[in-house]
Amino acid sequence: MKIIINIVGSIGHKSLKFIAHIGNFFLFCLSAISWIFRPPWYFKKIIFQVVDIGYFSLPVVGLTTFFSGMVLALQTYNGFTEFNSESTVARVVLTSITRELGPVLTGLMVAGRIGAKMAAEIATMRVTEQIDALSTLGTRPMQYLIAPKIIASVLCLPFLVFIGNTIGILGGYTIAIFKLDFNPNLYLYATIDNLQWIDLVQGSVKAATFGLIISMVSCYFGFYASKGAEGVGYATTASVVVSSVMILTSTYIITALFFG
Amino acid sequence: MNKNKTKKTILDIKNLKKTFGNNVILENINFNLLEGESLAIIGASGSGKSVLLKNIIGLLDPDSGSIKINSTEMVNLPRRDKENILLQLGITFQHGALFDSLRIWENIIFKVQNQQKISKVNGRKLALSIIERLSLKPEILDLFPSEISGGMQKRVAIARAICGNPKILLFDEPTSGLDPVTGSVIDKLITSAVNTIGATAITITHDMASVSRIADKVILIDNKTVAWSGTPKEMMTSNNLRIKEFIKTINPKLFA
Repeated sequence: MKIIINIVGSIGHKSLKFIAHIGNFFLFCLSAISWIFRPPWYFKKIIFQVVDIGYFSLPVVGLTTFFSGMVLALQTYNGFTEFNSESTVARVVLTSITRELGPVLTGLMVAGRIGAKMAAEIATMRVTEQIDALSTLGTRPMQYLIAPKIIASVLCLPFLVFIGNTIGILGGYTIAIFKLDFNPNLYLYATIDNLQWIDLVQGSVKAATFGLIISMVSCYFGFYASKGAEGVGYATTASVVVSSVMILTSTYIITALFFG
Repeated sequence: MNKNKTKKTILDIKNLKKTFGNNVILENINFNLLEGESLAIIGASGSGKSVLLKNIIGLLDPDSGSIKINSTEMVNLPRRDKENILLQLGITFQHGALFDSLRIWENIIFKVQNQQKISKVNGRKLALSIIERLSLKPEILDLFPSEISGGMQKRVAIARAICGNPKILLFDEPTSGLDPVTGSVIDKLITSAVNTIGATAITITHDMASVSRIADKVILIDNKTVAWSGTPKEMMTSNNLRIKEFIKTINPKLFA
């Protein structure tokens, strides 16, 4: 009987802790968003973040989407030849990349690269009292540390996704032309012909949402880190895991809103 | 240091209580500090000294009680007003808390630069004038905190605290982790900085030699409250068992 009470108690304790975490996270988000719109704006820090997130993420995003485009073209071709539908390869590659793969893969890559970095940086600042020091030196940590990261993430992700989409389509094109012997002009024409504004808009909305998710989640776990090095490790891992799960959850919600 | 009792009260703490959940950390904390005085706060690890400091500098809110800085009640003060008062404070944290991503000169002038936009040239000049007062070499100005030693980091943290001539200086264990010689240098720097800018100082320390060098007044935090207060001289000759035992634990030679 005592074991059952302990198990139930433990579940209850964990559930309450989880609910408290969610409440705290939303309060953090509200506070962070409110600081985005209040002067002073630290433009130097925003530009630094834009370069870090936008420019230095390009190689990893480019490589991921390029190979995904190649795999997609190859798999689609192999599957569709059974139904004599090879001509739809360009359309499938385009739609898959612009609607889902481009935004999601870019989001996951940025979560791994930038989210982890943000969480580790802020968590280290927390456990070494640098955030406390900021507060005592006439600076608001939310405004100085968090707001530039959120602004830069939301601005950069749509551009990264656009570039990732282009490179992904190029990956599909490369396989289609050089391995599957498609006619380059026909493939390009099919791609352009099937390009729809709604796909690009939806991709951009997803990208901006992912940017918001990655920066908010990473900054949150970093900001509330504790217990020294272990806390920094936990914040980093948790930020990547939670960001990734939230990206995959939100991509469904946005897809359902646009095409459901 | 200054013992003029007619001077105005800079810090006045009354009936301060702080809890974390059901855990009472501090209660019934009462003391005040006059302009130009140097107070040392001693106490065992985990006794709540740093929590007290964080309450004073506004990083934590007390559950009840009053904290007055320059006669202004800090508890429940609107954020903007509180920030203005806190700008009069200079703080060094236990491990320096220098900003890793900024160069030494940028760390030193951080507060001043936030208050008034100053050019890079003037900022460097200001930082240089301060580190020279603290016997640091100008070559370190362009280095990052990770590129200098722990002792130097503590001195840079003091430089950052005194930049802008704050009215109150707070030092959280400024000599912890340092060898006795460097510790003594840091004490001299603190005394000199306090005297030069005429600030009131609060220092948290475990180092009794340090207490005798820098403090006019000492309080012992024990069992969640101010267990003893007096001058360093009174402390050394005190018959109070708790403080005697506490001092013996830290440095028995002082009572040999």
